[in-house]
Amino acid sequence: MNPFELYQGKTALLEEFPFIASFTYQKIQQITLHSMPVARQEGLRLFGIQEGRFDWKIDDKSYLLYPNDALVVCPWQAMGSTKGHTEIGAFMQLQLLPSQLEGNGHFTLGEWSQLPTSDQRIVGKILGQNNRPVLPRFKRLFPLFETLAQELTEQELGYRTRVRQLVDEILLTVVRAMSKQEHDPRDFPQTFLKLEQSLRNNLEHPWTVEEMAGLVGLGTTAFSEKVKRFSGFSPLNYLINIRISEAMRLLKSTEDSLTDIAFQTGFYSSQHFSSTFKKLTGYTPRDFRKNNP
Amino acid sequence: MTACIICIDINTSAVKAHVYSMEGIALYSQKASYPTFHPQPDWSEQDPEQVFVTTLFVVKNLLNTFVIPQQYAVQAFCFTGSMHSVLPIDAHGVPLGKAIIWADNRGTAQVKALQASGKAAEVYRATGTPIHPMSPLMKIAWLKQFQPTIAAKTDKYISLKEYIIFQLTGQYLVDESIASSTGLFNSYTRSWETEALAFAGIKAHHLSEVASVMYDGLKLKKEYAFSWGVSENTTLILGGSDGCMATLGAGILGKKQVTVTIGASAAVRIVGQKPIEDPQARFFNYILNEEYYVSGGPSNNAGVVFDWFARQMGDFSQGESVEEVLEELFRKAREISIGADGLLFLPYLLGERAPIWNANARGVYLGLHINHQTAHLMRATLEGVLLEIYSIAQMLHQVHTFDSVVLNGSASTHPIITQTLADIFGKTIHPNTDDGVGTGMALLTLTKLGVFNTLSQAVNAVRYEQAYQPNLAHYPQYQQLFTLFEQLTQNLLPAFEQLATFRQA
Repeated sequence: MNPFELYQGKTALLEEFPFIASFTYQKIQQITLHSMPVARQEGLRLFGIQEGRFDWKIDDKSYLLYPNDALVVCPWQAMGSTKGHTEIGAFMQLQLLPSQLEGNGHFTLGEWSQLPTSDQRIVGKILGQNNRPVLPRFKRLFPLFETLAQELTEQELGYRTRVRQLVDEILLTVVRAMSKQEHDPRDFPQTFLKLEQSLRNNLEHPWTVEEMAGLVGLGTTAFSEKVKRFSGFSPLNYLINIRISEAMRLLKSTEDSLTDIAFQTGFYSSQHFSSTFKKLTGYTPRDFRKNNP
Repeated sequence: MTACIICIDINTSAVKAHVYSMEGIALYSQKASYPTFHPQPDWSEQDPEQVFVTTLFVVKNLLNTFVIPQQYAVQAFCFTGSMHSVLPIDAHGVPLGKAIIWADNRGTAQVKALQASGKAAEVYRATGTPIHPMSPLMKIAWLKQFQPTIAAKTDKYISLKEYIIFQLTGQYLVDESIASSTGLFNSYTRSWETEALAFAGIKAHHLSEVASVMYDGLKLKKEYAFSWGVSENTTLILGGSDGCMATLGAGILGKKQVTVTIGASAAVRIVGQKPIEDPQARFFNYILNEEYYVSGGPSNNAGVVFDWFARQMGDFSQGESVEEVLEELFRKAREISIGADGLLFLPYLLGERAPIWNANARGVYLGLHINHQTAHLMRATLEGVLLEIYSIAQMLHQVHTFDSVVLNGSASTHPIITQTLADIFGKTIHPNTDDGVGTGMALLTLTKLGVFNTLSQAVNAVRYEQAYQPNLAHYPQYQQLFTLFEQLTQNLLPAFEQLATFRQA
């Protein structure tokens, strides 16, 4: 494939796709000083290395990238070359502009995407964590990039649909790999602990099994089975267990109202809280508090 | 309706509940787990409410899925818990933070302080608990020093098991077995030890009342009795610590036997009628009941070392699990002869407790040659871990001779482990894959209920799998290897200290 550089506003090819800020394939044959300072840029940037060896930096961390590696950079991350200029080699870059992408996990792609809102929420959570931005030996990205380039330049029948689908596809491929590499399949206990922490940090959220599974890079069936085997609980029972544990702590150590506690611990109503609590403990939350002044 | 008992084991990673028949036969069990949090690398904590809620969940499930539909009538509940946890509680019974569990090492400076005070030997002798950060003595001293606001509000320092008992009954009560693992309890006078209390900076009223492991004066709160569908008057038996119950459940009481437990860590234990007085302070002595003590030594490095080896050296290319990979590595190690073609392994990956009690000790492969392959390394690793266990057993043998070994624990089931252990010990090995903690609780409970007259009669109910006999031709070879193993460890102690200075830099 020949190098290309498509920038929104500079080429008519991107006009119909305002969610793509740029898409480039650069072959660098000589060094240009100060060509790649460490800086923040808008949108989500996905890099795929083709040739060479790049010493890049995200915030204060250095990463060595080799052919077939991919790199994910979020808008709150400052990224550039450690030396300040691009090294000799070749890489592709796709810069996407979701309508919302924040470090706290708030994420919406935009009208154009086929991803349902619930999936977008999980994608946002995974991007928000972006602790390990390098996906090593991630060859799957290149055929997708190549097809995207082809669709954009050749504009055959249905290309508008194909481009939108391909961007969804690229994003899902990358995000799935990110959540998988964050969670070593050989170390489910560690994965489970990370999940527990995510649930506790956001206990008021109405978690679904799908969301929990997505967060640790598993399908819902495998996830439920693993959780059950490892913990003895179904995922939802495990969640209820944490909700009740936290509610007990709040009932004992705070003066918060029962409605507040129900809300903070993720029950959808104080009736739901009360009946779930009583089913497990034999006490209503009110009586439990009375017995533990 | 048929009578049954329910034994509840509140251990490090999960609550297990077992149903036993009145003959001591395991009928059914369920478990559910909870996590350990590490807010700092050396810390290990658990959420007391989560442990309690999990206990309720498991017991309720056990009753609803088995006991009630099968029309069993619960005669008694018995409880056991892990040793060495500490949870500060305020005057209203509210936990002041999370429980600090045995694996937590924050109390290292307190260990040094006690040793520097010259009182360590006396505290160890009186309490039977090794002077180590695992002990609640060190954890409470740490809380007093580094969390003065929490310490000031603390009415009681209790273990997780005591917390569960307190929730279920409204009473603070600790069994002698758990108490004797706190480092604060005098095993001879069976009361809180003044010298240890003074070091921790607390008074006896900061700890629970102490009672026998067979104490049955507790009463279940009516709300829980109602919710579980059992009578408020169902007998509650206080029970003991997991280590002591597992040893009772291994059936060695009153016999010339020793237990070897191989899980993530390992322990070698005997049951005796008095604590072992070891001037070098290498053993623990915990109270089993009024008559017996469980003594022994723990090793940090057992299953966790096999696991490490499998993860680092194994072939995961077909998506195998760690267990499958380890199985394959063990299979290859079987084809290698004793001594792994001149390769010896010291297994101190996590520092070591018994017998050397040295946190700076580290793993060593001695004798690597260019022809050595993964299988040789695996063979040496296996031998090294088992020789370390043998070194603990050797020390115990000097005070309590034994003719055979009962082997249990999650990492003990592979035949190569059992056979190698038999060959190293030169003694018969009786594998026991039953849940030892559950069996121990059942024997204790049934003795209290009068099914058995004494514990020494009760242990005859314990059953074993097919015994492994030692290959006596291999025994002298392992003896030779063991001499080298011990020498190497001794010779490397100064080197471990020097290496440690690099780690801290």
